[in-house]
Amino acid sequence: VSPQAAVTGWSVLSPASHGTAAHGTAAHGTAGHGEEPLPRPAGHSIGDFDIRRRLGRKGTGFFDRATGLGVIACGQAIEDSGISVGNVPSDRIGVVLGTTVGSLKSTMEFSAETLIQDRPYLVNPGLFPNTVLNCVAGQAAIWYGLKGVNATVAGGPLAMLNVLRYATRVLARGYADVLLAGVVEEFTAHAAWAAHLSGHPPAGEGAAVFVLERPEAARAAGRGVDAELLAVTTGFGRDVNGCVREVIAKAGLDSAEAGPLARAAAERQELLKLESGDCQAASGGLELAALLARQRDGQAADGALSLLTARTREGGCGAAVLRGCSRAGGYHGQRRADVPG
Amino acid sequence: VPVVITGSAVLTCLGNGESTFAALLRGVTGVGPLRGADASKLSVTHGYHVDDRLGGERFLASRMLTSCLREAITQSALDVASRRVVVIVGTGLRELGAVESGLPMAVQQLHFGSAARAAVPAAAEVLTISNACSAGGHALALAQDLVESGAADAVIAAGTDSMTTSMLAMIGRVTDVPTEQVRPFDADRTGVLLGEGAAAVVIESEPGSARPLARLLSTGLSCDAGHETAPDPAGIRRAALDALDRSGRGAAEVDLVVAHGTGTALNDPVEAGLIGDVLASGGPGPLITAVKGAVGHTSGGSALLNVDVAMRCMAAGMVPPIVGLRRPLDEGAGLRFVTGRPEPAAVRVAQVNAFGFGGVNSVTVLGAPR
Repeated sequence: VSPQAAVTGWSVLSPASHGTAAHGTAAHGTAGHGEEPLPRPAGHSIGDFDIRRRLGRKGTGFFDRATGLGVIACGQAIEDSGISVGNVPSDRIGVVLGTTVGSLKSTMEFSAETLIQDRPYLVNPGLFPNTVLNCVAGQAAIWYGLKGVNATVAGGPLAMLNVLRYATRVLARGYADVLLAGVVEEFTAHAAWAAHLSGHPPAGEGAAVFVLERPEAARAAGRGVDAELLAVTTGFGRDVNGCVREVIAKAGLDSAEAGPLARAAAERQELLKLESGDCQAASGGLELAALLARQRDGQAADGALSLLTARTREGGCGAAVLRGCSRAGGYHGQRRADVPG
Repeated sequence: VPVVITGSAVLTCLGNGESTFAALLRGVTGVGPLRGADASKLSVTHGYHVDDRLGGERFLASRMLTSCLREAITQSALDVASRRVVVIVGTGLRELGAVESGLPMAVQQLHFGSAARAAVPAAAEVLTISNACSAGGHALALAQDLVESGAADAVIAAGTDSMTTSMLAMIGRVTDVPTEQVRPFDADRTGVLLGEGAAAVVIESEPGSARPLARLLSTGLSCDAGHETAPDPAGIRRAALDALDRSGRGAAEVDLVVAHGTGTALNDPVEAGLIGDVLASGGPGPLITAVKGAVGHTSGGSALLNVDVAMRCMAAGMVPPIVGLRRPLDEGAGLRFVTGRPEPAAVRVAQVNAFGFGGVNSVTVLGAPR
């Protein structure tokens, strides 16, 4: 069974880690939420996150937090891969990002303005783009000049698997050569209250972006590979275990592998939720990033298998199986420079 | 494994596929006085209406769709029950016509899930996609992806649109004098008129019991990301080059273009320029025909209607004239528009164009069955 995609670079921004650093190297915080009251005193947000300090003032004036997180993660991921836009033609590099509802804060505030402002409702048109789901993917493409496939997949907790499925198809059908495939979720007072009032676990945030390429093309170009995606599936009204069996079979693995891999995935997800809150669309990406960080740090064996699973409250479910690759002569025990928030 | 078309059905103001093609060969137009809307308020006096045999006008798009799906499946002999069959419905206006009637309706009736399932109850999935006037081309592109990737055993790509008062009002606003007939690529063209219609084609990776009608080689899609209504030559060129590239055929191998040809001020010169540039720069270029003078602009169904016409040209060895074209526009000088009478031709490779408002473009390349 030939792998469907290779991960040739990645980046994560979460309350627990930055860039390609191992888990647990960053600080929690509630910065960026001003004086707005929160349902609980501390939030699972990225401490000291300042968009303008990271991206500069020019062009970032209207960026909301989700856009900032996504644009920064995309930039770090492509830098990590060593790809320079231009060496790979810009119209062959695409962006596929997963979300739940885009920026809840931007949408709610813009809606509120239309009700609060005097006629003729002088809302700020510059803020409108933030209210649409594909804002982050669009801004990332504009920021880095990426003219390939640009797609936004709404999937809540299933988003990362939806993104992987979509991305593998785009690569297989030849619609792009390189994809920045990832997920973004922002922590705001709005998100915190939405989680609290819905009786859900405390809201978290994060962005994780993975550079995906066709495996043979990536190796032909001499790029290091962190992991290979062997199989992915998503569905509705199915059992997660059925999805797991499907990807294990598609990947040509022994069905006995399924049990231990699924248990490891469940443990990882519990731990992640405790550490980073309920990151919704970003959760699958943070999980994958945590796996890749172990791989890059030499803590996981070359060829180590991992399973990603997800289900939504509405009945969506999915699974993916990946095989980790140690980078020869590469990053064993050597961390890339952390970029502070 | 080549992807083939094993069934095709259309419904236009000139009837089903067979009678539409026969009328095209005779050079007949189906234009008539506008029905069901107040022409004096709209600055639109004419339209291309289907025969009212489908009974009542409400949910016409849905009923035309169901009818075409049934006919296409019958022709293909597709066993829907035992295979994973996906239905993709491309449309410009969905069932907005039914909304405008002001009578109550369920919100899901805007889309075509139940209309498709009336003909294909065992469909694994029904998707409605709205991509303006290239929706049918987008449906074809998705269909080929689904079949070639193994995600579906067969896909029925369909398109349907009736008329809405809001769309009629819009086309009435863009012409000085009401158009009486669509004249594709004519120097004296006066604009577009709407045509009611639907179309459906069955796409499979392996031919079933029916003889394949054509090979579906490729569809190139592009989005101009430019103007709301004006076509962008660079954008449609990208779709055309992508389609040729994916088809594995050279520009000189294209024997026929079934053009978008809306008879508007902007589309026709841009499209003529594209054909001249991409297909006719190194030789005489392909024959060019277009159907909107005969059947109007059928929007969501138009790309698939053009596919049906292209396949009938392959089978008949005959290309119908462009109804409404009397004096070709200057930008089309040197191009081989078929005018006046049908032209005998062996069509091995045909290109089908569909361009939509918002700059959504599709170009499909078909090959004659072996």
